[in-house]
Amino acid sequence: MSKLLILGIDLGTTNSLAAVFKPGGPVVIEDAAGQALVPSVIAFSEDSKSPAGGEDATLKITVGSEARAHAVENPTATVFSVKRLIGKTIDDVREDLSVLPYAIVAGPKNLACVNINGHIRTPQELSAIILGEIRDRAEAILGRKVTEAVVTVPAYFDDAQRQATREAGRLAGLDVRRIVNEPTAAALAYGLDRKKEEIIAVYDFGGGTFDVSILQVSGGVFQVLSTNGDTRLGGDDLDREIINLVTGEIRQRFGEELAFPPATRQALRNLAEAVKIKLSSEDHAAIAIDLGNGRSFERTITVEEFESLAGRWVDHTIEHCIRAMDDAGLTSADIAEVVMVGGSTRIPLVRRRVAEVFGREPYTAIDPDRVVALGAAVQAGILAGASRETLLLDVTPLSMGIETLGGAMGKLIMRNSTIPCSAAETFTTYVDGQTSVDINILQGERELAKDCRELGRFQLRNIPPMPAGAPRVKVTFVIDANGILNVSARETRSGREATVQVTPAYGLTKDDIDTMVKDSYTHAIEDMTQHRLIDVRNEVNRVLVAIDKALVNAGDILTDQQRETLDAAVADCRAKQESCEDPDELYASMKAANDAAAPLTQAQMDAVLSQAFKGRAMEDLGPQISKDEE
Amino acid sequence: MTEFKDEPKNAAPVKCSKCQATIKGTAVCDFCKSLNPAAASLDFFSLLGLPVVFDIDPAELRRRYLNLSRHAHPDFHVHDSQEVQSLHLQVSSSLNEAYQTLLDPASRAAYLLERLGGKSSADDKSVPDGFLGTMMMMQEEVHEAVDAGQAEELLRLREVLQTQLEGLVRRIGELFQQHQEAVICQAVTTDILNEIRKQVNAVSYVKKLLDMTR
Repeated sequence: MSKLLILGIDLGTTNSLAAVFKPGGPVVIEDAAGQALVPSVIAFSEDSKSPAGGEDATLKITVGSEARAHAVENPTATVFSVKRLIGKTIDDVREDLSVLPYAIVAGPKNLACVNINGHIRTPQELSAIILGEIRDRAEAILGRKVTEAVVTVPAYFDDAQRQATREAGRLAGLDVRRIVNEPTAAALAYGLDRKKEEIIAVYDFGGGTFDVSILQVSGGVFQVLSTNGDTRLGGDDLDREIINLVTGEIRQRFGEELAFPPATRQALRNLAEAVKIKLSSEDHAAIAIDLGNGRSFERTITVEEFESLAGRWVDHTIEHCIRAMDDAGLTSADIAEVVMVGGSTRIPLVRRRVAEVFGREPYTAIDPDRVVALGAAVQAGILAGASRETLLLDVTPLSMGIETLGGAMGKLIMRNSTIPCSAAETFTTYVDGQTSVDINILQGERELAKDCRELGRFQLRNIPPMPAGAPRVKVTFVIDANGILNVSARETRSGREATVQVTPAYGLTKDDIDTMVKDSYTHAIEDMTQHRLIDVRNEVNRVLVAIDKALVNAGDILTDQQRETLDAAVADCRAKQESCEDPDELYASMKAANDAAAPLTQAQMDAVLSQAFKGRAMEDLGPQISKDEE
Repeated sequence: MTEFKDEPKNAAPVKCSKCQATIKGTAVCDFCKSLNPAAASLDFFSLLGLPVVFDIDPAELRRRYLNLSRHAHPDFHVHDSQEVQSLHLQVSSSLNEAYQTLLDPASRAAYLLERLGGKSSADDKSVPDGFLGTMMMMQEEVHEAVDAGQAEELLRLREVLQTQLEGLVRRIGELFQQHQEAVICQAVTTDILNEIRKQVNAVSYVKKLLDMTR
């Protein structure tokens, strides 16, 4: 492995995970139990058992499966689907308000924020907690420090959403070296070993977002031809259909006034998700809900019913597919393969409709939950200099322009332009001696400025005083390889740089972020050791449970000596679990136990692999089984 | 697309910032293959190392674009200095624009026309004789088909327009050929360039109508 380690992170609406690029190809990071997916769920609770003790009880933050498991008991302090909120205003997320059990409030600049027991948290801070958890796990498993990352976002994310994601990385102490589009990442993982020149489509239907991208793939070159999508269309919407059906019928039967407290809403969400998953493999699913006071609701949902509810959402995805083909100037006959990404592509209706529109069976041989992280790792490999043969040419999903006289949108960069790309526009003054000009930057496809997304107001300052119309201020707009806009300006008559003051319409200014980062450092220094100790203890617990489980399943494969080493290491770790106050020492002990359990893990993984890939040709397996060791 | 390029500075050779060799109007240094610091201000043909003619081979264009992108793409320079990164960002974005401009025959024609000293679309909005009449009729038909939601009729109109577009591009190719011959004979080229302007303007009309059929 190269000296430089950049972590590839798929920061998903429902689940997040990481992968790294190894000489043999990208590898997903799994814990001792083979788990890679971390639910993107955060739970906040007052920690009574805090090591700080008694009166100074600290806020305990848990992330992942544990947080998810307690969502029903703790509905208002459990946050999920943060990705639906990031980079958006409260007005953008009105529809989500009634479904999400936690409180969404307007923060600074009308940004959608989350109120947890009186603490207002931005989606950036919340995403940072998830990113931090993913990083911590990766560090524990890789046994080295991680400071750089590639983070994926939906291709259809706009500038504000991309900026916000990068800010989240920064808050988590990660240098986000690249924001990569999820369908592009998937294509990277899919096509890495393919030599043949072909055009592929990536259909990415996730928990909260939908993207479709068309790419030309040939000899290590991945060129995106077009992309289309909707950043608020995902599996969550299908869950919501089921929830609405059930709550509607419950109200009909037991009275309109029946309220659904947050805990019930959370339980309904879990139920809807379970129903959806069940209906992917069976033709009906039974529901039973205890409403208290001796009232209960039972019902069976059939696949047909579910499909009629899900139909309009799936139809929307198909419309985006058609638009993407149109934009690329192609028809379905030109598409050689349709790669399916995201958990929602497991739904049979989705697969049928995709097969219809592209006129071919979609490619489902790669794990739709992991392929994006694998692709992020490939991109990380490119950035780290490990792979010079691979060239990624992505596009900007939305047109960028400025507000012109009369409130129209004057497009400067068209959607689907290959990034990086740039455009320039010359501005002048209207009044003698005027020294500053305001410009409103927009993103979107609509004709009127008010229908487009306002990215920010840019103020050109320090223009030399001249008669009206004399100054020529050339403003250059550059969309970089992250799909993020950068602006610079120069007064061409005098050759002076005009200062560009960027005030993002949404999101945070650089100063805001700096303050937040500083704050988190201040706190970090105060209780870093204690937090680390708690984290390592949790990790120890997980590792010990996983080893016990593995011993039951495959303990007999160990040689006597291996068994002896493992038992000693486990005993040491168990003894130190509660008593040891030094996180580093405890970590070392845990690592020893984990290392000693390696033969077990390998045996289990082999068993799982041979189970999962039974009857499939080797070349269908894709890069995720690459077992290269460093 | 907004025109923002500074005047191409092909004529002025620059020194390679790495090996000090002289770079004459190419994107990378012939000797050490590092990027020409002035590459972003080269004209699109020079940037891609292609002769300044209309008739180019798309496969060759793509090959050169991809090769140069491997030198210029910011992905390969994330750990370099701010200055180096900024240069690669600029050159890479110029390459992307150059490739897209030269790939499409219509935009290639418009670009080449101005490169050869022809009038800009802002200075000369004229179209070939009889063209406007045909377009008015077509436009009406497209509007009707769109309003009535006649998908098949739209498809037919799109094909008609596509054929028209191909005809115009062929004609433009012939005119550029004539222009080249005229230059060799040191004959006057103004009329030819003006005629190309008309054809290129006609192409923009047809393209706008094509967009409406989608």
